[in-house]
Amino acid sequence: MNNRSQNRIIIDGVEVEFSNGETIYEAATRHGATIPTLCYDPRLNPFGACRLCVVEVEGVRNPVASCTTKATPGTVVHTSSPTLDLHRKTLLEMVASENDALAVDPLRGYASQELTQLVAQYRAATDRFAGQHSGHSKFEDDNPFILRDYNKCISCYRCVRVCAEQEGDYAISVMNRGFHTQITTEFNGLLRDSACTFCGQCVQTCPTGALGDKKALRFIEENI
Amino acid sequence: MSIIANHELIERWRNAPAPLLPLLHAFHDRDGYLAAEALRAISAALRIPLAELYGTVTFYHHFSREPQQPQRAPRVCTGPVCALRGGQELCHALADQGATAMPCAGRCDEPIPVLQGHQVLVGSAADDLVHRPAPLPPPNPGSLPECVFAEIRRPDRATLTGYENSGGYSGLRKAVQEMTPQAVIDLVSASKLAGRGGAGFPTGRKWQAVCDAVGTPKTVVCNADEGEPGCFKDRVIMQYDPHAVIEGMILAAYATGATRGFIYLRYEYPEIQPLLERAIDEVKAANLLGPQILGTDFHFELYVRRGAGAYICGEESSLLNSLEGKHPFPRNRPPFPVTHGFADLPTAVNNVETLASAAQIMRRGADWYLSLGMNGQVGTKVISLSGDIERPGNYEVPFGLPLKTLLYDWAGGPGAGRTIQAVTMAGLSGGFLAGDALESATLDEPSIRAHGSMLGAAGIIVFDDRRNMVAAAHNAMTFFAHESCGKCFPCRIGTQRLRERLNGEGPTGVESWLAEVADLGRTMKAMSACGLGMAAPLVTESLVRFFPAQVEQYVDGHKSHAGWE
Repeated sequence: MNNRSQNRIIIDGVEVEFSNGETIYEAATRHGATIPTLCYDPRLNPFGACRLCVVEVEGVRNPVASCTTKATPGTVVHTSSPTLDLHRKTLLEMVASENDALAVDPLRGYASQELTQLVAQYRAATDRFAGQHSGHSKFEDDNPFILRDYNKCISCYRCVRVCAEQEGDYAISVMNRGFHTQITTEFNGLLRDSACTFCGQCVQTCPTGALGDKKALRFIEENI
Repeated sequence: MSIIANHELIERWRNAPAPLLPLLHAFHDRDGYLAAEALRAISAALRIPLAELYGTVTFYHHFSREPQQPQRAPRVCTGPVCALRGGQELCHALADQGATAMPCAGRCDEPIPVLQGHQVLVGSAADDLVHRPAPLPPPNPGSLPECVFAEIRRPDRATLTGYENSGGYSGLRKAVQEMTPQAVIDLVSASKLAGRGGAGFPTGRKWQAVCDAVGTPKTVVCNADEGEPGCFKDRVIMQYDPHAVIEGMILAAYATGATRGFIYLRYEYPEIQPLLERAIDEVKAANLLGPQILGTDFHFELYVRRGAGAYICGEESSLLNSLEGKHPFPRNRPPFPVTHGFADLPTAVNNVETLASAAQIMRRGADWYLSLGMNGQVGTKVISLSGDIERPGNYEVPFGLPLKTLLYDWAGGPGAGRTIQAVTMAGLSGGFLAGDALESATLDEPSIRAHGSMLGAAGIIVFDDRRNMVAAAHNAMTFFAHESCGKCFPCRIGTQRLRERLNGEGPTGVESWLAEVADLGRTMKAMSACGLGMAAPLVTESLVRFFPAQVEQYVDGHKSHAGWE
């Protein structure tokens, strides 16, 4: 079977090739499409939580998450449309409503500006859908490396997944459910009492700065 | 008094299939809560990282982590039906016993259920709680032929002898001794039986897909996690006709080539577990289950696993994660359970009513089942009817029966001097139907969908003209917010924001309130990862559509409104 001729999909009007097992997100972004994400990290298994990466697939009623949907031959995909953009904007407004102010020091971590940037890009309002906040910062965790400012957490689980999938430490997980979901360690304790090795992977993948690099922040405080 | 040691409990379960839930229950039963030491022991024995196990335990409503909240304390249903009957007040009245509220416990045709230890008591006041079995389905008032309820009222139907005396297991004997698995699938396909848990996927096609899928061992799962508020049909089937469910599972196994099966039973039906396990033992002794069934090479083992209080585990992929001892988030699909189900192997997940129907169809034939519908529809559906109605209960209706025939002719209509203001559909998941729909809808998916709702698992809750529909919508949204798993953003945030907006919070102007509620709902419906987040906004959507005056009055009174909570 000649895969080269068969593995083709149409993304935003352009026919492109995909490799076996590739997701719509991977194929689309490899060919230059920009698709917003919050729970995505290319190193991790696709998770499908934030739903920002949904795309329209012709013949399918609801938009599908491009990060978890495998490309199949002949699929016609639209990565952007007025409807999709409206849903993404509304979703970002919902996300912005669950926490306190969005702006965080970029030194908190490599990915810490992702949410702020998307909110600006989609001109999402930060004063809609006001209501209860979901995060509970754990400032009492006085370890010298990792700031746990969960008031800014959006429960994308990138920290939990990187800890399990990249480090194999399984030090953190998710407790409770729904809006009461929290990132936790065993028995909701301090990182030093958990299986955490302070590798810092969780800090660098956090898209909101809810986890922060205390050493970097301390360096600035002390030197500037 | 000797207490069973940790290692004895662990040895009992560690090598059993799907061991986490029964092991957690064993410790929970022993101690009344799950102590840190218990979780450490389980984590080590089952090789589940401690943080993950801890997180998973906190997911379930009925696992206590605190010694001062033992499971012996009363848990009182405050669901949408019990809210009409004083559930909250009863919970307050039992406060001195440490009572807490629980979501709908599936006894909606009775006074308020109270779960205490492994018993469900029912009653209206603190001093008249009694332990008794759920009522049998009322006799079919239309004298129409039934399928799953055809034999359920026979007094000894729940025993193997009684079941066999009324035709039970004759379909299975015929299938195993005279038919090929493909012939069984063809017969079920010909009957047009479809999933009765609400999704309506053709059962024959599902069995065919599992049969054709590569990979063994294959599994049959009976989804008995009937968590939808206002639905209590699976309970009555399992209680009075457990062998029909078991026969359906054995048939499914024969058809698909599965060698193991699980009944995933919701936590709130504690009395059903020993009943099912006794029935399984009887069937094993009769060589209808286990190795070499009826002297053939067909081998099938069946286990009961009890949930721990999580509505989302009624979603089949969450259920499979729960069975496997994982965090019960729904899985991304595709792949579907028919190819990647339990332990990532081909699995048929079928609802209780579907399996019980399959057993009858095997015995009576596809043509018989095809003849049961009305008005061009095929087959029957058990409807759980509750709320402000004279004769609540489970009614098996032919698809296509007019809704008003059920409400007025069969169930006696609303109380004297009252009128029906609205009914819910699909328990809560279909939102409200009101107005003309009450006159013209028929009980089948095409008709209900044409009215903007869905029949689903077919729980119908009736609200008469006394009821405040905003309060009813708030109660419904509180349930969805409580049960949202927390994985996908639109549902996790959206159910919470809608709940707040129905509780006196959010914008104080009618226009901006309506705009926020509509925007939240639209994005939840389009973007949520599973049915929970897609269905929840039907509640607000139908509230606004059918009851604009009540909504306006409620939002206008917002500032002074303290909320229902």
